Amino acid sequence: MKKSIKNVFVLVSICAVVSVLLAITNAVTAPIIAENERASANAALLEVMPDGGSFTSVALDGYTLPATVTEAYLGENGGYVFKLKTVGYSSGFVIMCGVNADGTVSGAVCLASTETLGHEKTFGALLTGKTAENIDAVDTVSGATKTTGAYRAAVKDALNAALILGGGSVDIRTEEEILRDRLTAALPAAQGEFEKLFITESLDGVDAVYAAVNRTGYVLVIGDAFVATDLDGHVITKETAQDETAETAMAALLASELSPITLDAYEGLPSQLVSASRTATGNYDLVIKGAGYGIAGGSAYHPASGEYIYIRVSLTRDGRILDCLTLSQAETDGIGSACADESFYGQFVGKTEETYGEIDAIGGATYTTDGYKQAILRAFACVKIFEGGVES
Amino acid sequence: MEMFKSLIVILLSSVLVNNYVLSRFLGICPFLGVSKKLGQAVGMGISVTAVMLLASAITWPIQRLLLDRLGLEYMQTIVFILVIAALVQMLEVVLKKFSPALHKALGVYLPLITTNCAVLGVAINNITDGYSFVESIVSSLGCGLGFLLAMVLFAGLRSRIDESEVPKPFRGLAVTLIAASFVSLAFMGLAGIVDTLFA
Amino acid sequence: MKKDGYLSILTKGVFKENPVFILILGTCPTLATTTNVVGAFGMGIAALVVLLCSNVLISLLRKVIPDAVRIPCYITIIAGFVTVVQMVVQAYFPDLYEMLGVYLALIVVNCIILGRAEMFASKNTVGKSALDGIGMGLGFTLALCAMATVREVFGAASFAGMEIAFLAPYKIEFLVKAPGGMLVYGLLIALVSALTHGKGPKKKSFACAGCPSAAHCHTGACQSGKEEA
Repeated sequence: MKKSIKNVFVLVSICAVVSVLLAITNAVTAPIIAENERASANAALLEVMPDGGSFTSVALDGYTLPATVTEAYLGENGGYVFKLKTVGYSSGFVIMCGVNADGTVSGAVCLASTETLGHEKTFGALLTGKTAENIDAVDTVSGATKTTGAYRAAVKDALNAALILGGGSVDIRTEEEILRDRLTAALPAAQGEFEKLFITESLDGVDAVYAAVNRTGYVLVIGDAFVATDLDGHVITKETAQDETAETAMAALLASELSPITLDAYEGLPSQLVSASRTATGNYDLVIKGAGYGIAGGSAYHPASGEYIYIRVSLTRDGRILDCLTLSQAETDGIGSACADESFYGQFVGKTEETYGEIDAIGGATYTTDGYKQAILRAFACVKIFEGGVES
Repeated sequence: MEMFKSLIVILLSSVLVNNYVLSRFLGICPFLGVSKKLGQAVGMGISVTAVMLLASAITWPIQRLLLDRLGLEYMQTIVFILVIAALVQMLEVVLKKFSPALHKALGVYLPLITTNCAVLGVAINNITDGYSFVESIVSSLGCGLGFLLAMVLFAGLRSRIDESEVPKPFRGLAVTLIAASFVSLAFMGLAGIVDTLFA
Repeated sequence: MKKDGYLSILTKGVFKENPVFILILGTCPTLATTTNVVGAFGMGIAALVVLLCSNVLISLLRKVIPDAVRIPCYITIIAGFVTVVQMVVQAYFPDLYEMLGVYLALIVVNCIILGRAEMFASKNTVGKSALDGIGMGLGFTLALCAMATVREVFGAASFAGMEIAFLAPYKIEFLVKAPGGMLVYGLLIALVSALTHGKGPKKKSFACAGCPSAAHCHTGACQSGKEEA
């Protein structure tokens, strides 16, 4: 018994003595270690802002900043350095970006990423010296649009965040958010939920029509104006110069009637045409499939999906595209899948057989773009056959 | 789903890519010493896996709930090694008492584990890599299984070496290390496999 | 031990009982920290300091520490010194701290240190233990540096960070990776064995003799390995 008490006593006293020794060493070294860490953190910040001197951390509470901003530091030269976390090809894409006091990018580096092609290492250099106004003019790298697009957007967020921290105010909403906010302002009853209508009639001066999902009315985009109508197509608050245009357009839209066309009745129609309808005013509404990467492409790394791109397109009888929409697609995710974005298919609106080729191709997705254009070309051919009236 | 995926990645990369023995050199002593026979290799591998799991399950809360909150991060090394030493002792006593058969099979390997740097290495790495509790458990399971895999593979290889004519200066550890080098070279080929698994 | 002079205590660690090449102890840091000479030298010196301090303290306390709890006592003392070294390196040599990473903390389980505590310091006077610690530490440092020199010069075409231009086109990059470490270690052990014609103390089968657990594991594991060796 006595022996084991002695054992425990010795062990405990050794532990106690060692702990005291450690505490003393810690007291001596902790400030030096903290200073080292601060210096190396500062060195990392200096990398994107060489004349920043010594940086101080900025508390971000109380500011409404872009969601990508996670940390901010203020340099002695009045510039800010931001740490941003975004999503490129995959998540966990961390960027550090410096913004000078005059609102130009002093430098940007990628701190961590799981991107695949390595553009995140070099793209920052292209953004240096840019401002919030001209940064969107920097082209993304074709084939790596997700990585470089996210990079550019994050750096723009940093530029905006610098303005906000400097006391300014910036619209940090995305384009979709701005559109939704404007639609809601025109028709509050819709509670922010709209869907874009597919247009099959020639509507003079009208750029787009949105229907409230809860069926409380429509909003027409006419140039810069947003005009709300009720379900019968009457303008709710009559005051703008566009009221007339809106009422005419809505009358045409609501009167529009689609009657299906029997495809077998025509000869020479391309096999890619899935279905077709004609409106009372003589316009055509076609569903046509295009052979993109899913059919025409395919490699060992990215096998073809075997799926067509299904496209809905409406045309006037003289071959002008009224509206265009990608119904479904299974192109390479992150590359050809951009054909489902309005920024791509929206380009075809207003085009004719002579001008349909003047659209911007999807970067790095030749198969997808070519297959899509091929399908649009076939749509023009279909309209000609229908108009030619060669009924068998 | 996202979490499940990241756990699988942690598990596979600690078994295959960042194998503790073959690419990080942790636990080399038992790897070279106890891989002569397949039975011994399996016994040691299982014991190490069990102790790693238990050690991580205990050291993670100690670090996060105790040391971090009290500002005693610098006590990490000393606390962890004492926890592991005590754990091994306790495990031996418990096994002896409740499962003599298991103690007979694995008991001889337990005392060697206290000084197995892989166990302490996993416990410390789980903290420095910023893993959550579940991730720590999965990572230590992966490290243990990776250790077991390396041991078993190497035991098979060594039985071949024993049968071959080795030049005198190379006999013993030298040729064993060179053989281990080739196993490690083979494992290097696995790098990158885990990243592309879910891409 | 009596016939050993003080000088031979010091030198035996460096040559006759070199912990790395003859006793085969501390293999993990030997393999892991020898990708460059700076890291290897830092690791060697850190281990030397811990070894010296723990040997001295354990020798001082050898009459006080009861036999039954000696291993936990040794571990506590060693872990204490390791942590001190860790903090000092982190404060004054941050680059080295970054380079050594977790291996600095793992000095705690380096068999050399616990082994010398158990086999030498617990039985000898303070002076002899200090000399033993320095000798073993120097032996460890020299061996690490030798190995790191081979790996860095041929694997990265540089020495202690300084580039060796004429070797650059011929570097064997795999030497600084994991498999290269094992290969170089194996070749160096064979070289030492060939030079000494196996005259050094009989290789004590893979770390076991110096392992403090050797006393406990009489049942098997390593002993069976020894018999067959």
